[in-house]
Amino acid sequence: MFLHILKYELKNGLRTKDLIIWLILFPIGLGICFKVAFGGIYDKTEKFSTIPVAVVEESDNAAFRQVLDNITSADDPFLKVTYADRAAAEKLLDEGEVEGIIFSGDKLSLTVKEKGLPETMLKSFVEQYTVKEKIVTDAISTSPEKAQEVITALTENTASSCKEIPLTQGNPDVYIQYFYNLIAMVAMFGCNTGMHITIQNQANLSALGARNNCSPAHKSVSILAGLAGSFIMETFCMILCVSFLAFVLKVDFGERLWLVYPAAIMGGMLGVSFGFFVGSLTRVGEKAKVALMTAVSMLMCFCSGLMLANMKAIIEDKLPWFNRINPAAVISDSFYCLNIDEGYERFISKLLTMAAITAVFVFLGFISSRRKKYASI
Amino acid sequence: MEKTVVSIKELVKRYGDLIALDHFSLDIYEGEVFGLLGPNGSGKTTTINCLLSLLAFDKGDIEIFGKKMTPVSYDIKKEIGVIMQNVAVFDELTVYENIDYFCGLYITDKNKRSQYVEEAIKFVGLEDFRKFYPKKLSGGLLRRLNIACGIAHKPKLIILDEPTVAVDPQSRNRILEGIQELNRNGATVIYTSHYMEEVEQICTRIAIMDKGKKVAEGTKDELKRMIKNTETITIEILELPDRIKAEISSLPHIYDAQYAEGRLTVSCSGGKHNLIRVLDVLQKNELSFGRVYTELPTLNDVFLEITGKALRDKEE
Repeated sequence: MFLHILKYELKNGLRTKDLIIWLILFPIGLGICFKVAFGGIYDKTEKFSTIPVAVVEESDNAAFRQVLDNITSADDPFLKVTYADRAAAEKLLDEGEVEGIIFSGDKLSLTVKEKGLPETMLKSFVEQYTVKEKIVTDAISTSPEKAQEVITALTENTASSCKEIPLTQGNPDVYIQYFYNLIAMVAMFGCNTGMHITIQNQANLSALGARNNCSPAHKSVSILAGLAGSFIMETFCMILCVSFLAFVLKVDFGERLWLVYPAAIMGGMLGVSFGFFVGSLTRVGEKAKVALMTAVSMLMCFCSGLMLANMKAIIEDKLPWFNRINPAAVISDSFYCLNIDEGYERFISKLLTMAAITAVFVFLGFISSRRKKYASI
Repeated sequence: MEKTVVSIKELVKRYGDLIALDHFSLDIYEGEVFGLLGPNGSGKTTTINCLLSLLAFDKGDIEIFGKKMTPVSYDIKKEIGVIMQNVAVFDELTVYENIDYFCGLYITDKNKRSQYVEEAIKFVGLEDFRKFYPKKLSGGLLRRLNIACGIAHKPKLIILDEPTVAVDPQSRNRILEGIQELNRNGATVIYTSHYMEEVEQICTRIAIMDKGKKVAEGTKDELKRMIKNTETITIEILELPDRIKAEISSLPHIYDAQYAEGRLTVSCSGGKHNLIRVLDVLQKNELSFGRVYTELPTLNDVFLEITGKALRDKEE
């Protein structure tokens, strides 16, 4: 009986146009849009690269010049220095040719036009040098033969303090968050398949439900077969979605792509169980339920940052508990942990959270659906 | 002695203050085609839903095949086929798959099931539509699919709740013939409908419900004997003075005479020569008339007389 129902559950599900559109075509389309929109932004705007800077030498500062020469002659210099007089340097800054002007005199000073990552790094560089300059000048005055050695050490210290240090082997692109949320959204759309299980098994919700309730098939078997069918379909859709993003759109999920799959599948199960739970609760009609579920899942995705990347941070600030229970946020967090954290502790904890929420939803859904007779049909 | 298939005793179902079933009792015997008639809101579908243990009721007992019916009476459910008022099929499964799915809930043996599904397809005349999806079927074909899904497992008791709503005459005829064939093959049938002529055509016994109560029960002839009217005479006549109408009304066995739109309608209760007596009055007064016809009471007359002529939807 279980296999018979499961077989037709799968046949029916895989032929349902709405599911194909929302679980397969829509994420593919949105994934392409994201790729087109955000694909090159990080490389162009936020990825750390050589910072052009103008240096105006107001007085002789051999040590600083030596440090700059050492930095610019490195294999992967973080500064590209242009020596100029004040007027020329200001012109370069106005035209956007340089990110800032360092005035080298008795003291170092910095002029920038905007606020941003390059400007922050220039500021940090100037501050680092100023702090360590005295040590260098003292060393040169007491032991001139060690001047080169000290300058080299200063160069390395100052430059390294301003360089980007990767936290993990993951992808540091902040726009990857949109793709995490996209996967979370597909997972949440699984709620529609979950809701159909209830509709097909409750006599007060549909004619099909009434007919199924008249049959000798045990309700628990019908529901379990329905859940199994929905889990299988959702798993298929999640694998398809992640594979499309990773291999067709070449979205970089970091070194641990293989772990994105179980996280996505677990998220999909959470989505299905959420739909199953909500579907079993209220007595509104099928169309109203579909609309309600879509609205709720979109709201959850919105709160997890699908439409606005820093929304999750805003909610973390105002309603941190909501991020812990918002299924979409938990799903996207698991991908985030996978990409950012070196270890697996937080990732496993997120997976367990998803499994626990899934189990709770399935249990509550069963409790709500177990009603054998209805007050009205 | 006739074997009781369905026994409903003192069933009470309330929706808040509204009493949907008011101490409703009924016995249905093996081999019957039992018609359940009643105006909108009379409680027919509520009775069916209670009978199937879909709906909770406040009081009463229901037995099917001599056993108490509960939501977990799977052994009883195995022997029941249900055709609901609303079509209940999967849109994304073909005709064959739909029938196979529902038959599979009752019959686990694959070979037997396959045979039953084929027989059901032939029974409802959907041989050319095996691979069609429901949305490609006309209303009549869809109703036939709905029936096939309910009877493919060869149930002993078949419950049909208004199965011919919005069906063309050809499909309706086919469905009615099919129900009679199922009955000939041994199934007991419970049939609810608004169409009196359908019930008159196929049902061996009928109960009329109104406001949650059983107001009449019996065979067609028994029901017809329950009402006052035994004959209705209609005469096409150009003009009828009130004096002559009053004279006709005063004839023996005539309890009502109405004249409207060139037509005199005379209702009789008993008596043998009512038509001759009415025509005598017309001839005596030198009134010419056109066509004359007389009708015996139909189930519709029985229904209207017992349940009243007021519009029920309006009342509700």
